Amino acid sequence: MSLLSPSSSVLSIDFESPFVAPYPCFYILLFISFLCVCWFYSFLFCIDLKSCSTFTIPIRFSPPEPRRRRGESPEGVYVYDRMNQGGNTQTVAPLDPNSIEKRYGVDGSQVQISPYQYSIGSDGSSWTAHTVVDNQVVQNGNYSNSNYYHPPQPTVPNVQETPDNAPFTISSTASGTANVAQDYSGYTPYQTSANPPQNYSNTGYSNYYSGYQQQQQQPSQSGAYQNTGAPYQPISSFQNPGSYPAATASYSGTYYNPPDYQTNGGYQTTNYNNQSAGGCYPSANYSNQTNTPNQGNYTANPYQNYTPDAANTYSSTVSTTTPVHYQQNYQQWPAYYSQTEVPCAPGTEKLSATSAVSQSFPVPGVTNETPASNVQPAPSYAQPWRQETNLSQPSSQQPAAAVSASNDAYWKHQTPNQQAHYPVPPQNHYQSPLETKPLYETPFQGHQRATYPQGMNSQSSVHQAPLGYRQPTQTTPSVDAQRVSKVQIPTNPRIASNFPSGYTKMDKGSSAAGLTQSPAYVSVSMPKPKGHATAVPEPGTLPKSLCGFVERAFARCKDDKEKASCQAALKKVITEARDDGSLHTRDWDTEPLSTVLNTDMTNTESSSTLISSLQNKSPTKRPKSRWEPFVEKPFVKSALTFSSGVKFGGWNQQNQNNKKSFESFQKADAVTDSKPTYSWQNSKPAYAWQNSAKKSFQRPVKRQRFSGGAANAIDDEASSDSDKDSTPSAMSFATSAEETKRRDSRSKRFEKVQGHSRRNDIPKPMNVGNLHSRRGTALRLGEDFDESGCRSVEDIDWNALTVKGTCQEIEKRYFRLTSAPDPSAVRPEDVLEKALLMVQDSQKNYLYKCDQLKSIRQDLTVQRIHNHLTVKVYETHARLALEAGDLPEYNQCLSQLKILYAEGIEGCSLEFAAYSLLYITLHSNNNRELLSSMSRLSKEAKKDEAVRHALSVRGAVTSGNYVMFFRLYKTAPNMNSFLMDLYVEKMRYKAVTFMSRSCRPTIPVSYIAQVLGFTNTLSEGTGEKETNGVEVCSEWLKAHGASLIADSNGDMLLDTKVSTTNLFMPEPEDAVAHGDKNLDVNDFFTRTS
Amino acid sequence: MAYVSMGEAHRRITEYLNRFCGAVSYQDSPMLCRLLSFSSNSPSLLSLADALNVFQDASILIRQSDKFSEYGEILAHLFRSLQSYRFGNLVEAYLAFEKFANAFVQEFRNWESAWALEALYVVCYEIRILAEKADKELTSNGKSPEKLKAAGSLLMKVFGVLAGKGPKRVGALYVTCQLFKTYFKLGTVNLCRSVIRSIETARIFDYEEFPRRDKVTYMYYTGRLEVFNENFPAADTKLSYALQHCNPKRERNIRMILKYLIPVKLSLGIIPKDELLQKYNLHEYMNVVQALRKGDLRLLRHALQEHEDRFLRSGVYLVLEKLELQVYQRLMKKIYIIQKLSDPARAHQLKLEVIAKALRWLEIDMDLDEVECIMTILIYKNLVKGYLAHKSKVVVLSKQDPFPKLNGKPVGS
Repeated sequence: MSLLSPSSSVLSIDFESPFVAPYPCFYILLFISFLCVCWFYSFLFCIDLKSCSTFTIPIRFSPPEPRRRRGESPEGVYVYDRMNQGGNTQTVAPLDPNSIEKRYGVDGSQVQISPYQYSIGSDGSSWTAHTVVDNQVVQNGNYSNSNYYHPPQPTVPNVQETPDNAPFTISSTASGTANVAQDYSGYTPYQTSANPPQNYSNTGYSNYYSGYQQQQQQPSQSGAYQNTGAPYQPISSFQNPGSYPAATASYSGTYYNPPDYQTNGGYQTTNYNNQSAGGCYPSANYSNQTNTPNQGNYTANPYQNYTPDAANTYSSTVSTTTPVHYQQNYQQWPAYYSQTEVPCAPGTEKLSATSAVSQSFPVPGVTNETPASNVQPAPSYAQPWRQETNLSQPSSQQPAAAVSASNDAYWKHQTPNQQAHYPVPPQNHYQSPLETKPLYETPFQGHQRATYPQGMNSQSSVHQAPLGYRQPTQTTPSVDAQRVSKVQIPTNPRIASNFPSGYTKMDKGSSAAGLTQSPAYVSVSMPKPKGHATAVPEPGTLPKSLCGFVERAFARCKDDKEKASCQAALKKVITEARDDGSLHTRDWDTEPLSTVLNTDMTNTESSSTLISSLQNKSPTKRPKSRWEPFVEKPFVKSALTFSSGVKFGGWNQQNQNNKKSFESFQKADAVTDSKPTYSWQNSKPAYAWQNSAKKSFQRPVKRQRFSGGAANAIDDEASSDSDKDSTPSAMSFATSAEETKRRDSRSKRFEKVQGHSRRNDIPKPMNVGNLHSRRGTALRLGEDFDESGCRSVEDIDWNALTVKGTCQEIEKRYFRLTSAPDPSAVRPEDVLEKALLMVQDSQKNYLYKCDQLKSIRQDLTVQRIHNHLTVKVYETHARLALEAGDLPEYNQCLSQLKILYAEGIEGCSLEFAAYSLLYITLHSNNNRELLSSMSRLSKEAKKDEAVRHALSVRGAVTSGNYVMFFRLYKTAPNMNSFLMDLYVEKMRYKAVTFMSRSCRPTIPVSYIAQVLGFTNTLSEGTGEKETNGVEVCSEWLKAHGASLIADSNGDMLLDTKVSTTNLFMPEPEDAVAHGDKNLDVNDFFTRTS
Repeated sequence: MAYVSMGEAHRRITEYLNRFCGAVSYQDSPMLCRLLSFSSNSPSLLSLADALNVFQDASILIRQSDKFSEYGEILAHLFRSLQSYRFGNLVEAYLAFEKFANAFVQEFRNWESAWALEALYVVCYEIRILAEKADKELTSNGKSPEKLKAAGSLLMKVFGVLAGKGPKRVGALYVTCQLFKTYFKLGTVNLCRSVIRSIETARIFDYEEFPRRDKVTYMYYTGRLEVFNENFPAADTKLSYALQHCNPKRERNIRMILKYLIPVKLSLGIIPKDELLQKYNLHEYMNVVQALRKGDLRLLRHALQEHEDRFLRSGVYLVLEKLELQVYQRLMKKIYIIQKLSDPARAHQLKLEVIAKALRWLEIDMDLDEVECIMTILIYKNLVKGYLAHKSKVVVLSKQDPFPKLNGKPVGS
């Protein structure tokens, strides 16, 4: 009910009452202090960044707020959120008019409308969950842009569908106003300095970007949110660390951990966007604009909390020196930084990746060009393209520039109107998913959080964007970006631990292999923008994308005849589109050429339907999108950048029995490994979004899954994947979340069974929304692999097909693969490194660590990573398994380690040689194995302490020298004692049988206790410990059937003669039904679930 | 490579073909063996190989005549293998020979009598040798050696052809031995089990009817397996059988058998004479035997350390290591005898202190706890009769036979 309450205050009250009464005030104070600090910093930043100053300030404001939200007191959070939102809105509002008018004056209204349509359309479609999200999004958009984007509000009908949404809208408006005042105070000065128009546009962008990112992040955020709301905070924090190391750091500092976590997620996602933006911006013409977009992002971000980040990003955009700014920002806001940093780190990574991608493409110069082209001033071909891209979405855009994100950015620039409009609607959409989750508990908070994550995203995106931008143009820039990221990392002590590795990796990746990864980013961002773009187009002019479409169509014509027919078909299609008003809304880039070419009839129909309602997920549409990329291939080649979209296109063609296209597609794959990544990223946001939607409306979604058409199925699948990823949060959340997770996984399996049919269907969902398409692309990628594998296993270039993960979540539950790995669910190496650190630093129980490590191992295997990291992961897991006595897992790790060591990868091979020696002697009892492993030991190895120890243990065991054994037990190096642990019982039993047989008449228990290691040290014969040890020993002896008598002094003696015949090995008392006494029953159930 | 004219090449190839077909049609096994044994490097085969190199397409000659083309597949692969073998391309040679062997075994299956067993033996032997050589070549090229494994599976196939009832059964043991050699070399000893089972459980064929050389080889390998399992009595029987039936002139074979038989005998308490060790050049066991005789623990440890690699490779290290207990026993016995000389009345009381001192003389540092532990084990394993009085730190020996001899029984039984 609280959700429904129109006024935010009411809502906040509601929330407060249950949880924290005293907190709010405290938080407010905190917040104020934060603001002050922010101010101070902002000044610093202003100086540094100058142009960015205006933006930075708002951003800064926001950061404190998020914390407070996180601060567990929903109330406080609410207030802040409102404030932030309001501030944002205000800032936006003043700026908006200018910016819109200047840049995109005409489009504004249209754009707004289009987003609505889009959302509505989605609503209309079976996607109840999605629709809800959309509505929320719209609402969000209203919030942030309240002054500005009233049009979105009309969409409220959607909101009505879900009561939650309605409250949101209301609250948003109210809060927006209230907040505005505050924001103003903070902002005004800065705003003046800043370029209003730019800000506006930026806001739009940021929203846009943030929306994307948010979707991705949503799952995590939702989890975090839940955590905050409930007593599960500890859990959530736990999960959070997993997903976002940085987040964990923030946790320790403040209760805001959950939020941090979310933010982190957002950041990562945002990075993509930013990168894309960066890619776009490279073009000199738009440098200003680019800056503005970035700024806009910040401003757009209701979360002033991120200001520092924003400032950083800002600075980066403004000047190449951004790295410095970043650092400063981070330092100033350690807490924020930790959060922000996380995003930054991912972002930097991504950026580097993107840059790398551009570089990786055959012609670096070309890549540079592509960004330029993306930019409005861009080359002739590029411009038409862009328009197309707007419509077409990822595929077309991708070809133009490896970085789809950049494409997005371009588009905005290219068509200012569109851009301005776009940013807002997209943001709304994306944000909404996030918000919806929060809404559950506290609508307001949800919004704020959502926004805040968005803000984070935007910021991160900004950061990245500059970096990415530079990188494409210059090879070195990427390095700089990396450096920057590195620098930043150190500033946060908490984060630092996690980051270093990641950064270094990033550097590597960027410089060397990173290129491939980056593409994924780009692609991701691309699709979403496209969707928006479709909505935006102006009525009067022909969309550029349409020109591109026509060009493509003609390019495909082999002879005049075909050309003629093609022309006719094109005419028809265009007039149709104009008639039904979809000319501008239509995604021409993704529009299948088939419409115009061969399969005119069906395609045109489908396309028209598609156009009419974006919501329609007709199968034909999907194929089209794929087609388009395919069509664009020539473009892509020229650009030298392959995007996932292209791939998809190829795929689609495949579906349509276009072998050639498929082949070419494959070639493309071979050329650039990065393709998969592209698709991933695209898919990722979508799926994240779905996750959020799913969580909030899981049941409906499920229903859709099973009953719904194929289109739904794909989305569901994606969502289930995302659910997987987000499981940590779910886990923390308690049984309900757990339950849903389980259900998801089950249903997922079911889906997998249907995999093939679904693949065919995939195209449909793709069209539904850009998000969907992204997700679909990712799925398709996986399927592509599958299919190609089916076709001819031998001919496959497995290297080209090796999955390149794009998942930025640090924490991920292990889920045994039941199908080809989805790149969006696989973490790249740098993330895995962070994940490993996270696990190592984690205080959680072994079960959790084992789960995490298994998922890391899976990701490594799937990506065929064989390097020091792999060794480290396996070593870590082997040690942990030893510690926990988990021998099966230990054995798995050890066998892998042997292979890895044999490959010459450095590691603690001697340590593990000792383990394996011990294991063989103590557990496998295989003489041949023992002999062979002993004979394999080199002279040097035998000098190693651990190996020597293991060898003497072996000697003691073979000779039955229990005294020696327990001495060695006490002096065991490394984890040797853990292995010996498993033999202690046997050895003791053996020793007692020896003694009782050989000694007469009695043996003092104290002696036995001493010799058999019941007391801690040999020399330690006095004090409590000994008596303790003796007691334990006599208990143990009794349990094994020995008969004890007391002598005249009261000391216990072992009556050997009687004992000899009575000794037995007792059944393990702690035996449990599930077989592993180390495994708690509850853990057992979670494991088996 | 000597120059061979076309006509000469033609003549040599045709001659070989004629001899092959003649051998088959007359069931002339020795001739067939001579025609097949590559590794003999016989001049006739070498000259044939040269001829084949000159006369590139030998299959034309094979196809010329019906009697040749009957064995066309066998001969074609054989020629190709020989050609590659001559060039030193062992991997190619192996691959071709494997095809030839398959064809030959198929043909052999069709022959009712077992006249060609000898030739089959040659094929089995050659394929194993070729595989080993090919693996060597592969390893030197940095590739993974896998040909011996392939040869193993082919031999298993041959074993399947022979293992049934009938006259061909006699050949089964030869193939088994080739399999043993393959598996021991590959280190996949556990694969021997199925072969052993089929040899030992088949009641239809008396083991003694197998050829002697196969029996000896078989016993040698199964004896080694028993050593791995530390089943010393069984190992003793098998290895002793091998030793008894081994051709006394084959000193190398006898030495191989003794290498395992001596540790087995030692662990059963039977000590070989030095002459034996010297005769068969088994110096690595000299010190071990000496240590056992003297109860010199230090010497044993030194001997083990000195020849550690060799013992580990042959797989007797663990067996020899277990002799330590017997050395302790001998040491105790020595102490007991010395005590008896000085004080017969109290000789049966061995003070742990004294034992520790004795060990210290051997430069082995042990505290009383450890000495007590050793004594406990000795008593438990029945190497020493008596009991240990913990309180007084004294081992009280039985008055009767305090140090029982093993007499062919393993320790601890």
